[in-house]
Amino acid sequence: MSKTITINSKKYEIDVPEDMPLLWFLRDRLEYTGTKFGCGMGLCGACTVHVDGQATRSCVMPISAVIGKSITTIEGLSEDGDHPVQKAWLENNVPQCGYCQAGQIMNAASFLATNKNPTDEEIEAAMTGNICRCGTYQRIKKAIKSAAYELAKEV
Amino acid sequence: MDTNVAAELAKYENNSAPNNKSRRSFLKASTLATGGLALGLHVPSFASTNVENSDFNPSGFIHLFENGDLVLYCGRCEMGQGISTALPAAVADEMEADWSRVKVKQGEADEEKYGPQATGGSRSINVMYIPMREAGAAAKMMLVAAAAKVWNTSAENCYAENHFVINKSNQQKLSYGELATLAAKQPVPEKPALKSKDQFRYIGKALDRHDQGMVVVGERQYGVDTKLPGMKYAAIKHCPVLGGKLKSVDKQAAMQVPGVVDVIEIPRLEVPYGSVGGVAVVADNSWTAQQAANKLQIDWDLGPNQNYDTKIYKANLVKNVEKPAQVAFERGDLKQAFDSAASTLSATYTGGHLCHAPMEPNASVVWVRDDKVEVWASTQAPKSIQDVLGAYLERDPKEIVVHVMMAGGAFGRKFKCDYVQEAAAISNKIKAPVQLIWTREEDMRTGYYHSNNAQHIEAALDEEGNVTGWLHRAAFMPIASLFNPAVDRAPPNNLDVIKDHPFGFANLRSETGEAPAHTRIGWYRAVYAIFWGFAYGVFADELAHKTSKDTLTVLNNLYDSNKNPEQEEQVRRSKGVLALAAEKAGYGKKLPKNEGIGIAVHYSFETYVAMAVHVKVDENGVEVKNVDCAIDCGLVLNRDGATAQMEGAVVMGMSLSLHTEINFENGAVVNSNFHDYPVMRINEMPNVRVHITDSDERSTGLGEPGVAPFAPALSNAIFAATGKRYRDLPMKGVTA
Repeated sequence: MSKTITINSKKYEIDVPEDMPLLWFLRDRLEYTGTKFGCGMGLCGACTVHVDGQATRSCVMPISAVIGKSITTIEGLSEDGDHPVQKAWLENNVPQCGYCQAGQIMNAASFLATNKNPTDEEIEAAMTGNICRCGTYQRIKKAIKSAAYELAKEV
Repeated sequence: MDTNVAAELAKYENNSAPNNKSRRSFLKASTLATGGLALGLHVPSFASTNVENSDFNPSGFIHLFENGDLVLYCGRCEMGQGISTALPAAVADEMEADWSRVKVKQGEADEEKYGPQATGGSRSINVMYIPMREAGAAAKMMLVAAAAKVWNTSAENCYAENHFVINKSNQQKLSYGELATLAAKQPVPEKPALKSKDQFRYIGKALDRHDQGMVVVGERQYGVDTKLPGMKYAAIKHCPVLGGKLKSVDKQAAMQVPGVVDVIEIPRLEVPYGSVGGVAVVADNSWTAQQAANKLQIDWDLGPNQNYDTKIYKANLVKNVEKPAQVAFERGDLKQAFDSAASTLSATYTGGHLCHAPMEPNASVVWVRDDKVEVWASTQAPKSIQDVLGAYLERDPKEIVVHVMMAGGAFGRKFKCDYVQEAAAISNKIKAPVQLIWTREEDMRTGYYHSNNAQHIEAALDEEGNVTGWLHRAAFMPIASLFNPAVDRAPPNNLDVIKDHPFGFANLRSETGEAPAHTRIGWYRAVYAIFWGFAYGVFADELAHKTSKDTLTVLNNLYDSNKNPEQEEQVRRSKGVLALAAEKAGYGKKLPKNEGIGIAVHYSFETYVAMAVHVKVDENGVEVKNVDCAIDCGLVLNRDGATAQMEGAVVMGMSLSLHTEINFENGAVVNSNFHDYPVMRINEMPNVRVHITDSDERSTGLGEPGVAPFAPALSNAIFAATGKRYRDLPMKGVTA
């Protein structure tokens, strides 16, 4: 029986070596180039996707470990770019070069799904794994607080 | 509304020789193939002292379509600094275009169309701002002239507003789309009048970046995101030491990895932006290529730089600045100043190598075919790609098509196209499109580093503690070594900032100490300003401490002592940002124990930035609480972009001040990834407040100037909080 994985609600057959990390399956085998390569060691967060809703570093997650699971990439986070985190990112003009931002957004979205009313310290702790060399950290913090506020209103 | 338009058109129409070839053409118009207006722009090669040529060089295309869509091409490379929003917005403003109708496209490599495209030195706004505005204003005037023709009225009786031309007599409107094709046939105004500040619609406001919507849904395309049919993926292992050569490589294990197509040796290309040499693996995906590359058994002849050790080298730099060195410049009578000095003060400052480490490692896609070479690259220098690949592949550089992709950060590294040349070498061999992305390890170890550096300052002081003489020695591997390996120290003109510093100093000498290059040195965001700013900024604080004054007073005294009328503006504007930063930070107020505020100011890339840094230091380390940045860059194009640049400069400043240094042992870089090159993370982010000086001066750039004042302000803040003076970057192990 062939092994499959669901990505952004679509089923895909896994036809690559099973030790290939998910990142390259997404980028090279498929066409989900929104998720980025930054370090290859799980240190920078640029490769962050959701595995069954949980933020995961796809550059160190072998495909074998996510067979049958449901992956969400930045392209699938929302229908029209209208996830509260995405909207907050635009309202606060967060991105500069933008390369790290998919990972930042995915990490933030996963964090906020389980932590509705985070403190500053909790935000920092949750986001410390995501590096930004352009230095958009101040706006990331602001956007997360603003998205948390919106998400809390939705409840 | 636009009373200037009519006057300008009248002036032009009265001109008896619009096609006189002896007059330098400025703007050129044509009709788009599908109908509409295309306007090209003339830009001199360098706006300031180095005027290379003043031949006609059209650039910066405005494409107005018959449906009203407006495409503005940005010829300068976008890498996060926001130029692809700031400059097109300036065009749209002068053109009275509706920004929501604008699509910004990145210009491909074509300096005849876009003028100089090399993006660095914080020069894009300096060079392009006025020419782009003039192009926008000209387009508007041509649209007005077209409307006047349609209505059979005068241009004075019309005005342009937000994508329409309006008839003053009867309020009839014609849209820009409707007018586009006729506008293309109107005379092109030579020197169109520009808007005054109160008329700005977009300039000076806080504009959203034009493509941030694409970023948040993962649609923005970077150098590595291009997909082509039949494309292969490559990984590379570089020679770890500059000047080394491949002795042998055992490819067997690599070739046996399923999916590997080829292993290719790439010799060093001995031009400044050429490959250092390496061995590449080609496969059907980049992970397989990287895993296989790890299986290569490579034997290198490491070459002449194999003993380079930064610990030893930095110690030598210090020795070389603490004794007489080669004189770069002198004026006045320094000997007399020291002989008659009431006291002296001296200090030595050092800094380490830095690696750019943008989040996107070096990456490009290259397709070499018999009849075409095509590149998709994150780059800061499209023409360099054409030149280097043209020479390497023996093709006409102008024939090399370079699609300038969004760069995922650059900071100076992507000015050098060695990574593109490598992709070209691979594609040329396998006759297929190739994507080459460097691993983080290769990116960190195969850089063009910021120079490590040492400076020594000795000041002669009079009884009041005023500086009467200034001796300044510096030793650093210069960027010149990249272009001439025989250079054994920074050339004298690299120390011009000392002779030109706004402090003045009548009795002055600068000296350049021995610093031969053992690695490639390149421009790293703010370049030498990083260490000039550090030395000047900390030394001023040390002067204050020695003379029992506060640093703000001492800095003001230093500026005031400069009586050179040619530097009056630099003095005034430096003091201006200094006062603003100090005021906003509450400099001088009483602070809790273990807290301190440090200030510094630096003039670089024609822009003035001062920072006041507020820290708290305890047994756990240093916490940067607030940073107040004051900037004076003349007229600001995009207030939000300007603020973002300062926030980013603080983050970059924090990394280089506290955490990051590239070390070499046995000729090779020791660091490899973000665990041993620990750039700053979000948990350290201070509260950054940016204060923009309202100015009508000529607009200057902001990509780099914010970096220089941060490190000295931080060191001074730590001194204020703890009494401990840190003169070496990065400042490690800071505690109370």
